[in-house]
Amino acid sequence: MNPLTPKKKYIYLMLLPGLVVFIFAVILPLFMSVRYSLYQWSGGSSMEFLGIGNYLTLFSDSQFWHAFRNNLFIVFYSVIGQVGIAFVLASLINSRILKFKKFHRTVIFFPVVLSAVVIGFLWTMIYSRQYGLLNWLLESLNLNFLIKYWLDDPNIVLYSVTAPLVWQYIGLYLVIFLSAMQGIPREIYEVAEIDGATGFKKAIHITMPLLYDTILVAIMLCIAGNMKVFDHIYVMTGGGPGRSSMVMAQYAYNTSFSMFKLGYGSAISMGIFVLSLSLILLSRKVLGGFRNDS
Amino acid sequence: MTVKIFMRKLTALLLNIFVWLFSITCVFPFIWIVYSSLKTNREFSLNIISLPTNPQISNYISLIKDSNMYIAFFNSAYISLISVAIIILIGFITAYTLSRFEFKGRTIIYFLFLSGMLIPRHSLLVPVFIFFRNLGLYNTRYTLFLPYIAFGLPMTIFLMESFIKTVPIEIEESAVIDGCNIFDRLFRIIFPVCKPVISTSLILSFLGTWNEFPFALILIRSTRLKTLPLWLTNFNGQYSTDYTQLMAALVIASLPVIFVYLVFSKRVVQGMTAGAVKG
Repeated sequence: MNPLTPKKKYIYLMLLPGLVVFIFAVILPLFMSVRYSLYQWSGGSSMEFLGIGNYLTLFSDSQFWHAFRNNLFIVFYSVIGQVGIAFVLASLINSRILKFKKFHRTVIFFPVVLSAVVIGFLWTMIYSRQYGLLNWLLESLNLNFLIKYWLDDPNIVLYSVTAPLVWQYIGLYLVIFLSAMQGIPREIYEVAEIDGATGFKKAIHITMPLLYDTILVAIMLCIAGNMKVFDHIYVMTGGGPGRSSMVMAQYAYNTSFSMFKLGYGSAISMGIFVLSLSLILLSRKVLGGFRNDS
Repeated sequence: MTVKIFMRKLTALLLNIFVWLFSITCVFPFIWIVYSSLKTNREFSLNIISLPTNPQISNYISLIKDSNMYIAFFNSAYISLISVAIIILIGFITAYTLSRFEFKGRTIIYFLFLSGMLIPRHSLLVPVFIFFRNLGLYNTRYTLFLPYIAFGLPMTIFLMESFIKTVPIEIEESAVIDGCNIFDRLFRIIFPVCKPVISTSLILSFLGTWNEFPFALILIRSTRLKTLPLWLTNFNGQYSTDYTQLMAALVIASLPVIFVYLVFSKRVVQGMTAGAVKG
């Protein structure tokens, strides 16, 4: 393809640095981890070979599956919240009736650039019982009966930790949708308006079908992004109270670094790897499949 | 007819208000933190929402003077800047090679790097910890470079590869006739052409490394090596009741990314959109 191709050895030399770093920090640890997951090991010199023992434990480990279910819960609400709200906002911002479009876009995207740790602390303060923004707001609106221990009540904590995740990334999906909407020719809307279509109808019957692919990509992105949630939860609850907001990554962390079960921690990591990757690939297969059919 | 026009205007107004309210929820919490950090803890606990009656920067001064936050700030800057420089350099060379030349293993190598965007990162925390500890790479000055570069590369390679494909090969042909070798071609011909995609990659990798937390958490233990996110989580453990002090720390830790966002907001948005959708 390129008549100016240098000698083979130069080509491989140019690829070497990237490959070395990548293999060293990603591929090798993964392979090593498969080995360690076969041992009972707390980091010291004594290692007891268990074979697939750790994996058998993992299969019947209710704590792990509880964490996995929490991950799925967060993924579910994030898909609805992030993709749904972002689509509504994008449709509004894209319409003629909205003023200050650029301002809104810039402002709504702002939380995306902040560190997840900062977001975690920010929301810990929003949720604070005594000094929190949320309870203050409820009080000023005379909704005192809604005031809660947002992060300390096991019954609602999962919703409380999901809200900041949804909130932080709506902006990302908003700009994805907005940039896709720019590709829709104005004339289509104009014709629809002559036929009497309202804003709502335009969104459902024109924007949605034309943005179908983008919406699917956004959903896949959302699934992949929320399977790996860790930082926010580490900061806000650490998986608590009890285990009520435990997610897989937090569970692997606690097992490995608080209880020093590195062998079992490796097995959990493999479990996360397989489950997350399958879900990501499955979502691509299923959603991508829809795309081909339509 | 007038009723109809009135209704339409009313709907438009209500929708505008709705979006305004939403926008406010996106920035107000951070603005709240900024102005509250200018209060004393006492003033804050009396009224959490009011503006500071007598703004004072004692929270910031005590962070700078009495805490070791400046070490964490320096560490974050040092690790982010060097990682980003290496990501761009290696990413550029790799992307160029992958997009320009046909050779054995090209597809495999390309997909290997792409897999980096698909591999669930959080499943690597324990493996990377064990691997690095065994090799004596745990808790050192250069520990975090490796994972940060490795995880920054895929996106950068991807963005640059698709950009370089669009650069016509003819500009290199004439350079070769003029006697340019491969490195001249890379850095004197192609690199300047790639400026837009390079700045996008720069910004994205900077945001990524500056904000990174989990790998720092598992690979760094010494206070003198901690990055800002890690330092913040420890700081909170010690001063969990000192709200306004923590707020000031959050503001300081976020200043660089806010600066980058304000200056390059268009590029940040574009880059994130492209990277996300392609990934």
